[in-house]
This record gives sequence, C-alpha cells and structure tokens, in this order.
Amino acid sequence: MAERSAEIVWLLLGGYLAVGLLVAGLTLLFGLRRLEPGASAMPLAVRLLIAPGLTALWPLVLARLMGLRAQEDRR
Amino acid sequence: MAHGYRLVQWTPFKKRYDLALLLGVVVFLGAYLVAGLAFTPPGDRPLPIQLALRAFGAAAFALLTLILLIGPLARLSPRFTPLLYNRRHLGVTCFGLALAHAGLVGLWYHGFSDLNPLVSLLASNPRYSSIQGFPFESLGLVALLILFVMAATSHDFWNNVLGPNMWKALHMLVYWAYGLVVVHVMLGAVQGEKSAVYAAVVGVGAGLVALVHVLVGAREARRDARADIAAADGWLRVGPPDEIADGRARIVTPPTGERIAVFRDGAAIHAISNVCRHQGGPLGEGRIVDGCVTCPWHGFQYRPQDGRSPAPFTERVAVYRTRIEDGVIFVHGEPVFGDEDVPPSVTAGAAT
Ligand code: HEM
Ligand code: FES
Repeated sequence: MAERSAEIVWLLLGGYLAVGLLVAGLTLLFGLRRLEPGASAMPLAVRLLIAPGLTALWPLVLARLMGLRAQEDRR
Repeated sequence: MAHGYRLVQWTPFKKRYDLALLLGVVVFLGAYLVAGLAFTPPGDRPLPIQLALRAFGAAAFALLTLILLIGPLARLSPRFTPLLYNRRHLGVTCFGLALAHAGLVGLWYHGFSDLNPLVSLLASNPRYSSIQGFPFESLGLVALLILFVMAATSHDFWNNVLGPNMWKALHMLVYWAYGLVVVHVMLGAVQGEKSAVYAAVVGVGAGLVALVHVLVGAREARRDARADIAAADGWLRVGPPDEIADGRARIVTPPTGERIAVFRDGAAIHAISNVCRHQGGPLGEGRIVDGCVTCPWHGFQYRPQDGRSPAPFTERVAVYRTRIEDGVIFVHGEPVFGDEDVPPSVTAGAAT
C-alpha cells in the first residue's frame, strides 16, 4: 500500500473512532436509559465495559437514540 | 436477562472456567517459546520479542479455532456443552491476545522506522525484508477490528440493545475474521521462512472447523427431512417415551414454524419451543433443572407448562400440546401462547 493510501485509511479509522468516543461519552452521560430502559441503575464498571461498543457502533447507537426520540415526540 | 446489569454474572463454574482458560493460555505461550528456542539452530534464533509476538498470534489463532469448534461440537454431543456456557470470555481473551500480537508487531517491525508506525504497518515491511508481496498485515488488521467489535459487544447489554437477530448477525462476522486470519497466517508463514509443518498445522485447524460445521449442517438437514412424518391433522409423531432420557428432550420439526423440543420429566411429557429467547440456543439440547427447561448455551430457564421464565425474569417461549397414544407421544405443531398452563401428558407405567 502506498504511504498516501495508508495515511488515508488511518485518518478515516481515527475520525470514525473519534466521533465514536464523543457519542459514547454523551450516551453514557445522558442517553443510556433511552437506549435500554433496563440500564438505569448501571454501575460505573459496566458503563466503562460497554463504552468500547458504543464507540465502535456509534452510527447505530445514534440511530437508535434518534428513533426512540422520534417515537417519544409523537406521543 | 432483564434485570440489573453486572460486570459478569459470576458463578463458581465460570471462575473455574476462567482459571482453566488462563492456565491454558499461559501453558500455550510457554510451550511456544520453549519449542521456538529448541527447534531453531542457535544461528538464526529469533529475538525474544519476535518469539513473543509470534506466540501471541499463534495463541489467538488457536483460541479462535477452539471457539469455532465448540459450537458445533456441543450440538454433536452434550459432553461439550459446558464449554459453551462461558464462550464469550474466550472471545474477549482471544481479542486481547491478538491485540498484544499486533501491538508487538507495530512496535518491533515498524516502531523504528522514520514513518509513523501505523502508516508503515500498512505501507511497508521495513524490518521484515524476507516477507514480500501481499500485505498480509492488512488482513490481520481487518480481523483484529472484527474481533474488537465482537469483544466490545459481548456483554448482555448489547444483546438487549441490538436484539437477538442483529447481535447474532454481528457475531457471525467471526467467520470472516477466521478466514482472514487463516490467509494472514498462511501468507505470512509461507512468505516468511516458516516450515511447511507450520502451514499444515494451520490448515488442519481450519479444516477441522469446516468439517464439524458441515457435519452439524448435514445432521440438521436430515432431522428436518424427517419432519412431516405422520403429520396428520397437525399432530406430529415423536416416538415412545422411553426413547427420551429423563430430563432430556427429542427435537421434532413441524412442517411450518420453529422446531419443537419434547421433554420428559419423570413420567410427564412437555413440549416447548426449541428456540431460546436469549440468543436462539437449542433448548431441546438442554435439560430440565429444578423443574425448568434450561438452555444449554447460557442457562436461561423456562417453565415447561407455560413457557415463562420464573420470576423475576420475563422471557417467554411457546409451548405445545401433547398426547400419548398406544405408547407413542404426539405433539401438536401449533404453538400455544395462552394464559393457562398446558398440562403435561403422563406416561402409563412410569417409564425409566
Ligand atoms: C493489526 C493486526 C495484525 C498485524 C499487523 C499482524 C502482523 C503479523 C506479522 C508481521 C506476522 C509475522 C510475524 C513473524 O513471523 O515474525 C504475523 C504472524 C501471525 N499472526 Fe498476525 N497480525 C495481526 C493480526 C492478527 C490476528 C487478529 C491474528 C489471530 C487471531 C493473528 C495471528 C497470527 C499468527 C497465528 C501468526 C503466525 C505466528 C507464528 O509465526 O507462529 N494476527 N502477524
Ligand atoms: S441462548 Fe443464551 S441462554 Fe439460551
């Protein structure tokens, strides 16, 4: 792989994960109950345990949050 | 399960399992290092860090092979089911080993170049001149990313958020990861100075994984082909009660709908959906524990008379009506989701 392409790959990957970290942080602080009602009393250790998943799957997490938000607004 | 989340639902069994896992990994790494030193002539002995990074990669591959073998093996013989219970810890451990492998590779082979090591990893093999041609590292990287996503979503929280189907689809990526790793190792090993024996060992591992999957697939297909034997007015023939071991089930396949697990609990015959609500585990390959059908995969429980999980859990599966005629069990293929219990059929002259 040329250096230029390698740089682009890492840039894309890094950008994706950076946005993911942001989404994960915000979700853990404000959105957890909306994502999964059973998660209201989640200990800190478990929150940290699911943080990597929130980071990796952030588009899906956002879609879930928005979707659920939309449902609530309609009600 | 729908109750307070914990880091791990520890049980004594899981602790012993994890201890065995840890010991296994340590022994594997140790054996690899010893063998690596013993079987190479002193002249071209790899440096300790090279040996270590190879050992981590080999351990990750071996563990991934084991993980993929357990599922189908447990379906072929219940002897292997205990290995299933805690399989997610194997997955997370595998990711950890692969990460250590990749980290050491980045450090050793790319950390000293003028380039950013990450760029160098994909762009070149500056300190590894014997490996030329296909950039097998990129394959390893993709596999590592897949393993990461799976390890990161292994907690039950994710099963609930994603739903069983999506979770399952996501974790099916493991087969892609495995395929990529096999090519990664083959190309790396073949392009490097590895012996043919090494490639053969990897090939045998991958071949075994393929073989057990084909075997299980064939068995299920045969079971399904038997399906509609004597499916008269919706009643399916199951067989005589004494062909079912106490506390165990026989699985039957109705012409439409999910498979049905017909359990014998002493003299009582119950029929319940074969599909666990958790991750679709085969309930009919589990057993009755404390009066409840218990899933072989992670131990979710269902009362056989109404298909509900005992309080405080709220999961529920379908149950089915049964009857016994001339010493043969029949089950009706239509699922029951009613509020009332479906009474068991009782075998005449308690079968043993
Ligand atoms: C970013 C990800 C990865 C990179 C950059 C990478 C890189 C490498 C390199 C450079 C080698 C050759 C090492 C040597 O012979 O000195 C190697 C070998 C190997 N890799 Fe990876 N790898 C990655 C991911 C993985 C993963 C995810 C697995 C398995 C789950 C894996 C399993 C192996 C195995 C089994 C070997 C052969 C080790 C041996 O010589 O016994 N690698 N890898
Ligand atoms: S599939 Fe997990 S308990 Fe049944």
